[in-house]
Amino acid sequence: MNEHFTRRDLMHNAARGVVLATLGGGAGFLVRKANGQVVWQVDSARCLNSRLGEVGVAACSLCTTECVVSLSAVRAVNEHSRCGRCNICPAYFKITSAVDERGLPSEKLCPRDAITRKPIGKADPEDPANNFYDYLIDEEKCDGCGKCAMQCKEPLGLGSIVLKIRYNRCVDCNRCAISRACPKDALVRIPVTRALT
Amino acid sequence: MSAVGQALSLWRPSRPPGFALCVLLFAIRTLPAQSIPYQRPVDTAPQEKTIGGGYKTPPVQKPLPRNSWLQVLDVAVLAAAMGISSWLVLKRRNRKALVALTAGSVAYFGFYRQGCVCPIGSIQNVAVALTDPGYSIPMVVTATFFLPLVMAVFFGRAFCGGVCALGAIQELVLLKPVQVPRRLDRALGLLKYAYLGLALFFALKPAIARDFVICRYDPFVGFFRRTGAPHMLLIGGVFLVAGMFIGRPYCRYLCPYGGLLAWCTRLARRGVTITPDKELDCGLCAEACPYGSIEKMRAVRRNCLYCARCYAACPRERTQLVKLS
Repeated sequence: MNEHFTRRDLMHNAARGVVLATLGGGAGFLVRKANGQVVWQVDSARCLNSRLGEVGVAACSLCTTECVVSLSAVRAVNEHSRCGRCNICPAYFKITSAVDERGLPSEKLCPRDAITRKPIGKADPEDPANNFYDYLIDEEKCDGCGKCAMQCKEPLGLGSIVLKIRYNRCVDCNRCAISRACPKDALVRIPVTRALT
Repeated sequence: MSAVGQALSLWRPSRPPGFALCVLLFAIRTLPAQSIPYQRPVDTAPQEKTIGGGYKTPPVQKPLPRNSWLQVLDVAVLAAAMGISSWLVLKRRNRKALVALTAGSVAYFGFYRQGCVCPIGSIQNVAVALTDPGYSIPMVVTATFFLPLVMAVFFGRAFCGGVCALGAIQELVLLKPVQVPRRLDRALGLLKYAYLGLALFFALKPAIARDFVICRYDPFVGFFRRTGAPHMLLIGGVFLVAGMFIGRPYCRYLCPYGGLLAWCTRLARRGVTITPDKELDCGLCAEACPYGSIEKMRAVRRNCLYCARCYAACPRERTQLVKLS
């Protein structure tokens, strides 16, 4: 035994052991619990831009303006399997704008030109009007203003475009700034396991 | 069957969808330009089989959270930075290298990670996760909260010295340190325990009334994110301007995590040590310490913020360095 080892050292070591055990126990408890972690997500059924019945109102863009990160952590997502793939997509075109020589609206709806489209499937050169189109939303451009989601819902569309949190941008604030401002309480906490699948 | 034929076969007049009607009207208006009116129903989404042409539905764009290995990297950087901080201060006694580490921490934990996750704010999340069965925190947050405390049990507040982004930004602006009168310093130092109590009080409220005050009133995160509420940026600016003269006002008087670290540091085996010297009791180290952590020529480890200014000011350290080189 070290001859310099005093009673004081013993007390210190004992106290250190107790503190370390407490810290370790707390950390272990929290790690075991970590699977139940919750993250923010937009509830489409509540969101003003995507819920039914909200027609004739301006799209709510609080997700764009309130988010603490510079390009909002909310973006529009197109659920392709639900998309009507219309030729005259009301989320792509500003359908109230003048019609050009191809019979299509001359203006686009997205203020940041984030939506692109390409014809898919067996294109019929005789009949471009009835072709199917894939609508893709550029992640770098979309700032979650919700204008397209507002247009893409029944009865005009099928509601395939909805606003979603992008987890590569969301910093998971304790109290999401958008949720503070959201008039419909559409920002909800969901389990992380559900958010990632 | 052509795509048009398939599309037409889908058309059932029994369920006229509003959009198709509206588009029909639209198409009629523009008939001269088109040979076939636009008449595809949109009450069902066409699937791969209907679309044909070997079409595959593209995956729904779902940006995943930060890579898990990047999260591990965050924790590893935190642990490494604390290790380097204590090695630079306790072994090398090298203030210049420590300032470099401080700048690196501001860059990584501050501007790159935007001040999040930090152990200071995580006090409340940890408190909620420990008490509320319906709330839990990611492992990264757990590690970020506990690692600096474990470090403090052995080496003191190595986290405060050049690792914590909030401390680091204040350390870098401290240009003309003045000594705060000791009694005032002690009295103000009690504020951080009051803040800790307040933070726990708000964290342990029921979920609806819960308020994460530490993060909301973080004075520097607005600078790291280069955006924020104007009043918080103003408060942060006041802290930085005051911090040019008063050493690290947030750390010493408000930081609730500093309070926890101070308690753990009481058990520390190693720490900054001032060795009294028979020939030289100049007290330059005590004068150099902007945090009032050297009392009666002894380092008060629980208040020591690992800045190594005392070593930089010590004439003995300097002569030793000359001899060695």
